[in-house]
Amino acid sequence: MTFRTRLLLVFTLTVVASVGMVEWLVTRATRDAFERMERQRADALVAQFQREFDARGREIVRAIRNIAQSDAAVSVAISADDSAYYNEASAMARAHGLGLLELAGGDGAIISSAEWPVRFGYVEEWLAAPTGWKPGTAFLRREELPDGFTLALVAVETVDAGGRQLFVAGGQQLDQDFLATLVLPAGMRVLLYRNLEPEFAPHLLAGAAAGAQEFQPLIERVIRDRRPQVATLGSGSAAETIHALPLAGVENNLLAVLVIASSRRELVELENSLGRTGAWVAAGAILTGMLMAVWATARVTRPVRRLAASAGQVAAGNWNTTVEVTSRDEIGQLAQAFNGMTHELVEQRERLLQTERVAAWRELARRLAHELKNPLFPLQITVENMQRARESHPQEFDEVFREGSRTLLAELANLKQIIARFSDFAKMPAPEMQPVNLNTLVAETMKLFEAQFVRARVTARLDLEPALPIVSADPEQITRALRNLVLNAIDAMPEGGTLTARTTQQGAGARIEISDSGKGLSPEECERLFTPYYTTKTHGTGLGLAIVQSVISDHHGRISVESQPGKGTTFRIDLG
Amino acid sequence: MNRDRKEKVLPVFLCVDPRLAMNRSRPLTRLTQKRDCPGNRSLTVAAQNAHRSRDRKGAVGAVVGERSFILGNQAGPSTIRFAATLLIVGALFFPASAATRPRYGGTLRVEMRASIETADPPQLGPGMPDLAPAFSITRWEAGRRAVFAADENAPGGRPFLDAVEVEMARSPRDQAIDLDVGKADLIEIPPVEARRQPASRRTWSSQPVRVLLLLFGARMDDARAREALTLAVDRTAIFNVLLQRQGEISGALLPQWLSGYAFAFNAASDAARARALAASLPAQARSFSIGVEEAALRPIAERIALNARDAGLAVTLVPQASAADVRLLEVRIGSADPAHALAGMAAALGLPAPPRAESPDALYNAERSLLDGFRVVPLFHLADVYGVAARVRGAPGISPLGEWRLENVWLEGGRP
Repeated sequence: MTFRTRLLLVFTLTVVASVGMVEWLVTRATRDAFERMERQRADALVAQFQREFDARGREIVRAIRNIAQSDAAVSVAISADDSAYYNEASAMARAHGLGLLELAGGDGAIISSAEWPVRFGYVEEWLAAPTGWKPGTAFLRREELPDGFTLALVAVETVDAGGRQLFVAGGQQLDQDFLATLVLPAGMRVLLYRNLEPEFAPHLLAGAAAGAQEFQPLIERVIRDRRPQVATLGSGSAAETIHALPLAGVENNLLAVLVIASSRRELVELENSLGRTGAWVAAGAILTGMLMAVWATARVTRPVRRLAASAGQVAAGNWNTTVEVTSRDEIGQLAQAFNGMTHELVEQRERLLQTERVAAWRELARRLAHELKNPLFPLQITVENMQRARESHPQEFDEVFREGSRTLLAELANLKQIIARFSDFAKMPAPEMQPVNLNTLVAETMKLFEAQFVRARVTARLDLEPALPIVSADPEQITRALRNLVLNAIDAMPEGGTLTARTTQQGAGARIEISDSGKGLSPEECERLFTPYYTTKTHGTGLGLAIVQSVISDHHGRISVESQPGKGTTFRIDLG
Repeated sequence: MNRDRKEKVLPVFLCVDPRLAMNRSRPLTRLTQKRDCPGNRSLTVAAQNAHRSRDRKGAVGAVVGERSFILGNQAGPSTIRFAATLLIVGALFFPASAATRPRYGGTLRVEMRASIETADPPQLGPGMPDLAPAFSITRWEAGRRAVFAADENAPGGRPFLDAVEVEMARSPRDQAIDLDVGKADLIEIPPVEARRQPASRRTWSSQPVRVLLLLFGARMDDARAREALTLAVDRTAIFNVLLQRQGEISGALLPQWLSGYAFAFNAASDAARARALAASLPAQARSFSIGVEEAALRPIAERIALNARDAGLAVTLVPQASAADVRLLEVRIGSADPAHALAGMAAALGLPAPPRAESPDALYNAERSLLDGFRVVPLFHLADVYGVAARVRGAPGISPLGEWRLENVWLEGGRP
């Protein structure tokens, strides 16, 4: 991962983390505010329900009182024949808007029942009981109807007339219809669980068209603990905050659980809206942050990248590379240091080249002097002998002259050869590449030296790879290189030995090895072996292996040497 | 039941209803009634096959055939044999004033609760079929209206009325209103309303000819369950409140006035025994349904269900009476001959036909055998009660069996 990428990543993560933190803080603050508002609304609704409940209670008390004070009730009370009034309660209940109404005698025996007309004669013991209810107050009561029990808000009044007593007991069922009359804010609903059976029964939850079961745990908890409970049911926009309140009867028995469900839709929609807005803002912020990060990292890393590129160029040999200094900060200082370093490197290289050039000229001069001095000294001696013989021994001059002439010609030929070698080294032609079978070249070269092998008591061995691939090479230059290596090998074995020429396949290319069994070379000698004019022999120009390396280099090949003192030397040429 | 019977001869009072005597030559179907003969023994006599004679002078004559009567008290029935031929020749003549003089013309407007939806007018049963042959149908609107016109050539002579117009599907409340405002001349009065009628309102009442009973279906095969429900029913409460003391509590199929021994059949409830029987039942046998076909009988069915619940039975009311385990039915007495009436009821209820009873004992035994096993449980005997408008004059327009006898009825304001 590049420095710029890392920097970009760090910047991006920083931006994302910052935006996310802000978003979370905003959402949390909003939710807290909404929750507070929700609690206030729920409290208001509970208070409203309580007021509504009390108002309904007062209405029922008023209706029952009106009935008790009516002539019809007095007639029932004083009548000796109750049977004539068994339908009376229904008419009274209708007239006063009551769902439940019972007229009962002083012993509690029902004279007339609106909700269960045929129940006449049955005794409502709770009416005649001395405790449990108070006139003028409405209370919750579990009432029995033909189709089961129901929960009702009831009130009781008594009528005393003609020495007889009549109970007027009635009210309203607390059911779906009752709940429907409550005025509720939007997004809220009221449910009423009538605790009429020992176990939770879904049908007793008025106001829940479906899904009554989801309220079961909450309602059971309220019934068990007899304390208000708050919970959240559902998920997403369908979620509701539920406030469940216990409602007790006159005997403090828990008869109902009021469930106030407040929709969390607004909160969820607000959260969703915040989320969407936040996402857009975050996306924008992140995008902007990333663009800024890209720009910033580009700005920050541009000098570094320039430095890296320049360093790469320096590594590739372009020591003249410099970096533009655009700032005075650390990066600018680094660039200046880099420029100073490359400048110093270039100067040092120039000095080194100069030194090497001088050394090379000196070496060349030394070599030339050495090479030329050797033939010149016999020339001088021969000419001086010829002068001395003409002056001192004129009779022998002719013979001396003939011998001297041969010597002079031989030495002159030697000089000419030296000059030709230097000339060859100076004028290496470009190779003319063509498909070449190296096995053939190696075999022909070895054949050229068969006579010299015999004279030098060298045993020649050929170890050629039959499946050697054809390579592209200049056969004349490769042959010249091979000759140099074979000659060197013969020279390395003055006492005779074994010379092995071997070819092997190296991937798609080929390898040639020329090995001798001579005295070998030291590591220092191996290192300097291809240096021009360096030689370990008492004769020679020191250009042979330099020429070989030059040829192989022109073929984009590689030459190496492996030698150990006393174990011979192996030259390897890899051509592709 | 005390089956120790002894024969004895009691004096029989035969009181002739003066109204019958005043009217024109109608069958002498009601000779006495307790309320018509104050101070005498409770004796109800039904006459069958009375030979009637009629003349234009308003003479009344009737011959009552041989009859046997059963009299009794709570100790048990006693049978007397009363074999006589009564010949009442029109010896009872009352001077006819202008107010009571029959008049011709007018349309009698009758309202009824039932809605007869048949394509043609009914030919059997009480009500409209009784109008023939004095009246013949002239217009029939199924479920709504029927108009009968007087037959000039009726066997008993032309009726006083020109026509009888019957309005169907009228609720008791609407009927009462129509009668009050003069839109109806004759309306039905359900038992529960009978006691609430204004004192000035005229009513016609038949003998208790409608038998209200429980009929157990085949699924109720456990006699204990049937008996438990039978004993759970508090007839007195229903009689006092829901029936407003109209009719009679009875455990017999034939009413007392017809058989004379109905009191011998137990009609009392026994809650403790009912609970014990219910407790002995398997759980599934303690639950059953009760159906009622007439809406007017529904409160009675509900009360029976309530009584049953007290006994430990779970009885639910179902709207489809035919699918119910128990049905609350009303069956009419179809004949003044007890044996015929009993046979007719047995047939109507799907019970085995009782043997022809030639004696009161045999009749009693036949009825007893029908009721043994509690397949059928009679509850009440109810009368047909009609409210009559003030302008309606003449003899009671219904017979003791509840038949319409409108040929001797006239309307005030008609042609003299």
